[in-house]
This record gives sequence, C-alpha cells and structure tokens, in this order.
Amino acid sequence: MKRRNVPKPALGGAGEAGPGGTAGRPGRLQRHLLSGEFDELRDFPIFESNFVQVTQLGEVANKVTMGVAASSPALELPDLLLLAGPSKENGHLELFGLFPLQFVQLFVHDESRWQLKVKFCTGRAFYLQLRAPSETRDREFGQWVRLLYRLHFNSAQGAVPFTQEYSAPEDDEEEEEKEEEEEEIRLEWEEHQATEARLDPLASELWGL
Amino acid sequence: MTYAYLFKYIIIGDTGVGKSCLLLQFTDKRFQPVHDLTIGVEFGARMVNIDGKQIKLQIWDTAGQESFRSITRSYYRGAAGALLVYDITRRETFNHLTSWLEDARQHSSSNMVIMLIGNKSDLESRRDVKREEGEAFAREHGLIFMETSAKTACNVEEAFINTAKEIYRKIQQGLFDVHNEANGIKIGPQQSISTPVGSSTSQRNSRDIGSNSGCC
Repeated sequence: MKRRNVPKPALGGAGEAGPGGTAGRPGRLQRHLLSGEFDELRDFPIFESNFVQVTQLGEVANKVTMGVAASSPALELPDLLLLAGPSKENGHLELFGLFPLQFVQLFVHDESRWQLKVKFCTGRAFYLQLRAPSETRDREFGQWVRLLYRLHFNSAQGAVPFTQEYSAPEDDEEEEEKEEEEEEIRLEWEEHQATEARLDPLASELWGL
Repeated sequence: MTYAYLFKYIIIGDTGVGKSCLLLQFTDKRFQPVHDLTIGVEFGARMVNIDGKQIKLQIWDTAGQESFRSITRSYYRGAAGALLVYDITRRETFNHLTSWLEDARQHSSSNMVIMLIGNKSDLESRRDVKREEGEAFAREHGLIFMETSAKTACNVEEAFINTAKEIYRKIQQGLFDVHNEANGIKIGPQQSISTPVGSSTSQRNSRDIGSNSGCC
C-alpha cells in the first residue's frame, strides 16, 4: 500500500476541529496510530471525532474516539471503523477495536444533540454524542451526517441514515433479523471485493465531506 | 510506560472457543460468561516481565466466525506470537486446527511462535478432546501446548507469558530480527537492544510469574 505519512486535512475531523487540535493537525486517534505501535494501521486516512458514549436517553457514560478509515487507497469510501478510548491504567488513548464497516451500521440518532447510533451486525448497539467546541460542533457533526449518507447510499441499507426510519422495528426483531443481516453482509462483502479493483485511486482522495 | 520490546500477538480459532474470554482474563483478570460475538479485531494490552525486561504484549483478538475470517486474516501479518485456541468440549474446533494453522503460516512470519491452547479445561465432564491429542498435534506441528480455563484463570497467565518467553528466547538466539517490523517485534521507546532495563522499575510494574502452575 502506498505510504501516506501526512493525513489529508480534508479528512481531518477532530484533527481539524477537535479539542486540542489545530487546523490540519492529525486527530488523537491518528496520532496514536502514528506513535509506532500499530504499523499496520498507521498509513490509513482517517476521519475521526471525539465522543461521549450516552444511553438512549442521553445519560453520559464514557469517552470514546471514533474514526472511520480506508484500508486501501483504491477505496472511494472508508471500510473500517476504529474505536478508542482512555486506558484504565493511565488515561492515554488506547485502541479498543477495528471493525469492517460491512458489519456496522451508523445512524444519526438525534441531530439536535449531535448523537450517532453505532449498530453492529450482531445486534449490539450504542450511542455516541459528539464532543467538540460549540463553535465547530455543528460543522463537525455535519461532516459525519454527510459521511453517513454516503455510506448508506453506497450500501444496500437504504439512503437515509437516521434511526427514526430504522430503530422502531429493529429493536424488537433484532434476533430474528440477525441471520438475515449476516447473509446480506456476506453478499455485500463479496460485491465490495469485486468492486475494489475497478475504483480509481484518485477517487479516494476525498470522501466528499 | 516504557518497555524494552513490544510483541504483537494474534488469537485465532473457531468461534465460541473462548478467545475473547482468554484475553479478558489475561488483561482484566475477570471472566464474562456471555460475550458478544467478536467482529473484526478487538485489542488488549498488558505489560509482562521476562528475564528482567518489561515487555508490552499487544494482543489482537480476531473474529472466529467463518464469515469474518477472510477479513481478519489480513491482520495476522506482523505477529510475533499466535494463540491458536480450540474448545476441549467441541471436537469440531479441534478438527479445524489444521485450517487455522495453514492460515496463520500463510499470512505471518515463519518465525512466529504458536501456542496451541485447549480451552475450557474446567469442563472436564464434557471433554471431547483428550489432552494427549492436543499434545500430539502440537508436537507434530512444532507448537507449544497448554490446556487453559478462561473461567478459572487456570494456565491463562502461563499461556501468554510462555509464548513471550519463547519469542524472547528466539530474539536472544538471533532467530528474530527485531529491526524487521514484519516479525511483530518492536523495540520500546527510548530503548536500545543493548540497554538493560532497570530491575527495580521492572519489578514494580510487572506481574511476572514463575514456571507453570500446573493447575490444569
């Protein structure tokens, strides 16, 4: 894979506007991946933001940094979700998991509260509220909304990434839908694999955010 | 926290054999009977002390389910150690070891140390794979072998730490080039391979163990 030592400012997310960040500076997650412990992930272009995990009713739980990344410059959209948070030992950012976006759905849960819903194909779901300075919060959340539109449009899951269209039936029928979803996921993955080789590498320069 | 080396581990094996539970027991010293299916990769880390050196284990817990396998195998690259896990109460998880081993060998460094783990040793009454079979498989394929219980913590420390000891032994013997990132070993920040780590720091921060407790 082509080395990309300097993340593109256009993909900056929290890197552009996150707490403590300056324009064009990589975000906390990107810096963590560049620190030398994750060679496999350090060259991924990442769009990331800082969040707090909240309950469905909005009660605050813990800090989470979420990013989406493209594992290959041949991709026109990100294909991985990265989750990180403060370590229990010293509070430094620690990568918790890396999840192919084929197996994750992202929704806008509550636009007025800058909340997203993250739902895994296993049925596990949680809610994240954007943590950003008030003057840049709307713009940063808007970038996530645009990204979610693109991800949903690109997938077979429908073009509108809002929980209102999805959550009511899915919460009650998660178990029944699980196998069906996994089969869909497998098919999408095969389709995605077939598409990858045809994509123009230049298209991955911007995710249209 | 400073360390002399970082070793990348992968945990592989069929779904439901207890990979995530082994990781949780090792990093958090707790057991969670019901665990969400792992998709992609989940990470864990812990410092250990081997021969007076602080070593950070960076552990990649991979999804075992077949539908995720083609994706997760791309992350085997650059692992110094692998824990290949089966469930002693489910024969099919033992039967699939050859396939996992082929995957691991194909996508990793040839020097990678592989620890074969027969997990759920606390469920003796439901045992479906004899310990001798695990031992024979390990012998045949040049693996280290242990039976563990993520539930009781039996041999969990030993499985992770003995793997690290074997990697460290290979470094000492010059079999691992620590400057080659493909080997899954990194020299710690502000360390050089000739610089000894202060023993007081090592002891204060480590959770070193002795030889096998033999509890299983």
